[in-house]
Order: sequence, then C-alpha cells, then structure tokens
Amino acid sequence: MDEEPERAKRWEGGYERTWEILKEDESGSLKATVEEILFQAKRKRVFESHGQVRLGMMRHLYVVIDTSRTMEDQDLKPNRLTSTLKLVEYFVEEYFDQNPISQVGIITTKNKRAEKLTDLAGNPKKHIDALKKAKDSTCGGEPSLYNSLSLAMQTLKHMPGHSSREVLIIFSSLTTCDPANIYELVKTLKALKIRVSVIGLSAEVRVCTVLTRETGGSYHVILDESHFRELLMFHVKPPPATTTSECSLIRMGFPQHTIASLSDQDAKPSFSQAHLDSTSGGPGLSMGGYFCPQCQAKYTELPVECKVCGLTLVSAPHLARSFHHLFPLEAFQESPLLLHHRERFCEACQGELKDKSVFTCLSCSSVFCVECDLFIHDTLHCCPSCIHSRSAP
Amino acid sequence: MVMASEDEVSLLVIVVDVNPIWWGQQANREPQFTLSKCLDAVMVMGNSHLVMTRTNKLAIIASHCQESHFLYPCKLWKSGDGHGDDNASTSGDGKYELLSVANDFIAEEIKNLMSRTEVKGNQTDTLLAGSLAKALCYIHRVAKELEAGQEIKSRILVVKAAEDCALQYMNFMNVIFAAQKQSILIDACVLDSDSGLLQQACDITGGLYLKIPQKIALAQYLLWVFLPDSDQRSQLVLPPPVHVDYRAACFCHRNLIEIGYVCSVCLSIFCNFSPICTT
Repeated sequence: MDEEPERAKRWEGGYERTWEILKEDESGSLKATVEEILFQAKRKRVFESHGQVRLGMMRHLYVVIDTSRTMEDQDLKPNRLTSTLKLVEYFVEEYFDQNPISQVGIITTKNKRAEKLTDLAGNPKKHIDALKKAKDSTCGGEPSLYNSLSLAMQTLKHMPGHSSREVLIIFSSLTTCDPANIYELVKTLKALKIRVSVIGLSAEVRVCTVLTRETGGSYHVILDESHFRELLMFHVKPPPATTTSECSLIRMGFPQHTIASLSDQDAKPSFSQAHLDSTSGGPGLSMGGYFCPQCQAKYTELPVECKVCGLTLVSAPHLARSFHHLFPLEAFQESPLLLHHRERFCEACQGELKDKSVFTCLSCSSVFCVECDLFIHDTLHCCPSCIHSRSAP
Repeated sequence: MVMASEDEVSLLVIVVDVNPIWWGQQANREPQFTLSKCLDAVMVMGNSHLVMTRTNKLAIIASHCQESHFLYPCKLWKSGDGHGDDNASTSGDGKYELLSVANDFIAEEIKNLMSRTEVKGNQTDTLLAGSLAKALCYIHRVAKELEAGQEIKSRILVVKAAEDCALQYMNFMNVIFAAQKQSILIDACVLDSDSGLLQQACDITGGLYLKIPQKIALAQYLLWVFLPDSDQRSQLVLPPPVHVDYRAACFCHRNLIEIGYVCSVCLSIFCNFSPICTT
C-alpha cells in the first residue's frame, strides 16, 4: 500500500482562497483581471518539447468506450453517451491528421461484456460511421474492464514490435464486473508492453489508478466537457516510445495515382479491392486509382494495407505530416510590450502589437503577437522568419 | 450568377515571385515580358477581385531571395492615414479610388524592394515557403478580426517564376498541411518550369495548378482560371488536374522509388534493407 507515491489530493490540501485572485481597480471594475484571465487561457498550452526522445510514430490504439447504465446521466449535455461519441469522432479525425500511418479500433462495453465496434483500421471514415450509428444504442448494465482489456489484448499482442500498442479507456462507471483477477491481467499487459490510459467521467477509481501506473499510462478525471476535450486531445500526440521497442525498417509501397479518362484507349475500369467487401455505396467501379506496386491491386484511397500481398501503401505526404513531431518548434520567449523598442508590428501578420506581451523567436529574433504565436505552434510548426534562411533541418 | 451575401468575405492573397536573377535573365530572353508587365497583370487580377464584390479583400506579397514583403496592404498606410490622402486623392481617369490607391502602393513598394535589396553570392532561390507562411498568418489575423456573423473564405494564388528549392521541402510541407487544415486553397500559376512542390500543394489543398504556355498572356490566364472562387469553379470548364507524382525519394540516392523501407523511428526512406538507420 505504501509504495504509492505521495499525492496530495485537492480536498486534503485545502482550497486556496480563490476569491483573492480577483482584484478591483480604482473604479471598481474587474476588467483588468478578466483580461488577464483570458490572456492566460490563451497561453495555457504547455509546450513540452521532448527534445531528442524517440516518439512512437506508428501507433495501434484501441479506444474502449463504456456504454453502461451510468452513461445515461445528464451531467454532460445531452447525456454522457452522446457527448462522448461526438468527442471521440473529433478525436479520431485529429488522430489521423497527426498520425497518418497509425491505426485505431473501437470497443464498447456494457452488460458485463465487451464487443468490438470497429477493427483496427487506418481509414477514419469507417470509424466515424460506426460512431454515428452507435448514438442510437442503449446503455445498460455494468461495464467489464477485464473483458474489454482482454479483447484489446488479443489483437494488440500480434502487432509488430516497432509500433506502439495503446489502449485508451473512457470509463464512467464506478464499478466493474470481472470474471477473473484483474491484477493478473495487469501483469500480462505490462509484459506485453501495452500502455493503458484512462479518462474517468465520474470519480477516481483505485483499480484504474493501479492499471495506469503499472502500464505507464495516464489517468485523469474530467471536470467538464471542455476539460474532457483537452484530455482527449492530449492523447493525439505521439507518446515517447518505450526503450525496449524495436526499431526496424518497415517495407512500404508508394503507389502512383493514375487518372485515366474515357478518351484513353487503354483505360479499363476496374474494381477497387476496398469496395469488394463493403455493402454500402455504389458498385465501386472506377477508372483511376492507386495500384499496389507489388501485386497491382487497386485502391481508391491511401493509406491502406494491401489485402492481396500485405504491403502497407502510403504516400509521401503522409509521412511528411509526422515530421513536425520529430523536429518540434521551440517555444518563443515572452517579454512585456513596454520593453520592446523597435517598430510595433508583428512580423508574421503585419498587424500592430497591442497585447500585453510579445513573443520573440530565439533563433531569428523576430517578434510575434499572441495570436500568431498560438497559430505558429499549433498549426504551422515552423517560424515564418526562420524559414527565410538557407539552412534546412 | 451566384451572388455572395454581405456576410461572406472572400480574401485573395497573391504571392508573386520576384527573384531578381530569374527576371534579369528573362529580360534578356524575352524583352516583351518583363517584371513590370507581370506586375501589371497581377494588378489587373487584384483589381478585378476587389471589384467583384464589395466585401472582397486583397493582399499581395512579393517573394524575394532574402525576404518576403507585403506590397499591399502597406503597414504604413494603417498607422499614418494622412500619408495616402495627399498623393492619391483623385486619379485622373475616374477610377474607383480604392483601386488607384492600391495600384500606386504596389508600384511604389516594388520599386523600393527591388532597389534596396542586394543579392549576395549563393542566395539565389526564391523563399516561397516563407512567403506562404506569412500569408497564412495574415489570413489567420484577418479571420480573427471579422465582425460577428461574417464568414471568410480565403485562397492563395502563387505566381511562380524561378525553379524550386529542394531545401525547403519540409517547411513547404508544413505550410501545405497548415493550409489544408484551415481550408485555404493554394492555386499556382507557373511561368517557366514545372514545380513538383506546387503541384503537391494544389493537389492536397484542392486548388488549381497551371503552367502557362505563353507568358505574355498572363493576365488572360489569371482572369480566366484563377479569378472565380471555389464555389463557381465547379460550374466552369477549367484546365484538368495534373498527374502528381507522389512517389517518395529515397534518402541514399535520391531516386524515386515505388517500394521502400521506412525507419520506424525517424521516418527516413531507404531503398535497400539494412539493419542500421543512418539518420
């Protein structure tokens, strides 16, 4: 019991006197304090630069969604289930945006059983369709952590060693119904190097704390919907790779996109391999597409794993999307506006510097405003002035 | 014709490649098409965009070897409003005042830019990625400064003259993905040699790529192909999309390969299997 780290819980430490944060100025208005709070909210992102730590780029992630009776609670509007499904849809889109060569699968658990909603796949559309259909499902019974983890484990243990194996559980109930000792399962998970993280919707549950601590994941409980979204987005970034994961060269194909028009004499329409199994959509006959370089099977979208020969097919921009994780942009230095004596305009957007503080890039000494700083670090991932110089990373 | 409502703002950012080395050589090759003719065509395009709808906005960036400079809107214009009023109060030919002021500013700024920068020895490539990054930041700021209820649609038009710079690949890709995330189209009008980077940019963001067969007719091509915005383009017959070569180049020989080996840690691509990654 005592090997747990000492953690002061909020109710143990006592609340700070939160009313002292608000300070009135002479006329009795709170405007300055409110602006300060808004400004801090904009800057709340913590730029953790991992530096030279290896990141797990190819990720196999299972999302386990608890659909038990407690998900019908209405503390998240309209009810917990709808809110969760909407946020997981957004999460899946962002995940594939940041990790284009990774895969996601979804598992739901209720009535003491677990079932797979979608298999591990690299295409976001399938997951989003399944999530939309799941909105109508009923919630009931109790969830089972053991069953959902063993279901995820069955697939994850066959994944190759160089990819990271992760499970993210969205857990709302305070109980779990397990057929066997879950601590044994935790030992097995640890041996298989599967990292489990939990996002709790109700309260902190001890078995989840042990689970995440042993496997190296993170455990948080949400405060409200926007906090929920932040916690989910935290899992979009690639986690640091464990030191024992193998690194190897993976064989991949880069198919050409052929666009054939009807006027070409050699053009033949053909079926796409991906559409052969699908029941929805049109006949799937199309003129152009991507042809696997090894077996010439046709696909309409990338990335995909060729069903005939097993080669992973990607296109070069997909790999390029992940480059910014490998070379993260350093945080800019914040300094107050009053000390800034040069011309008061932001070098990126050409606007006037009106905020309280300005941000300076350490390598090229150019000055940016708050909005540009956020935009550069979240979306652009490169300093507009630094890329005016010759050197390429 | 589809009428845009008062609430929809369409912002066009034109990035013009003013690489002095390429334009200098061009003046020797084809004296009838010089940088000033190119800028005339760009001004016609900019004026036409502003005239299409009252709420349209314009920005023009000149992309040089050492910097990217905003030709319009000029930052001095905002802070000292008196400056513009003295010189350009009336244009003699009854032109809409916004257009004449814009044209004068553009002409003034490009003259200043070309005269003050000196090209140093090995810096001969146009810094296109930097200009696109600044354009994106500008669009981001304008989108934040809109009034409530207004929506903005933006696109970037790149007029490219010189060749690609291979060193800028990664920055270019970052910029392209940022544009795609913000739903900003990147169109490209190429004067001389095909550019693989711009072809990829147009393909990923959904814009149009066109290599012009006759440079003198630049204004016509700009007005025909690039003036309509994305809603109207589906109803027009425009040049077909080009075939983009998405094959990756291997890091050891720089050949384009179809099947390769990708390192799981650093994502570098090799053509032959070897147990050690050299990156």
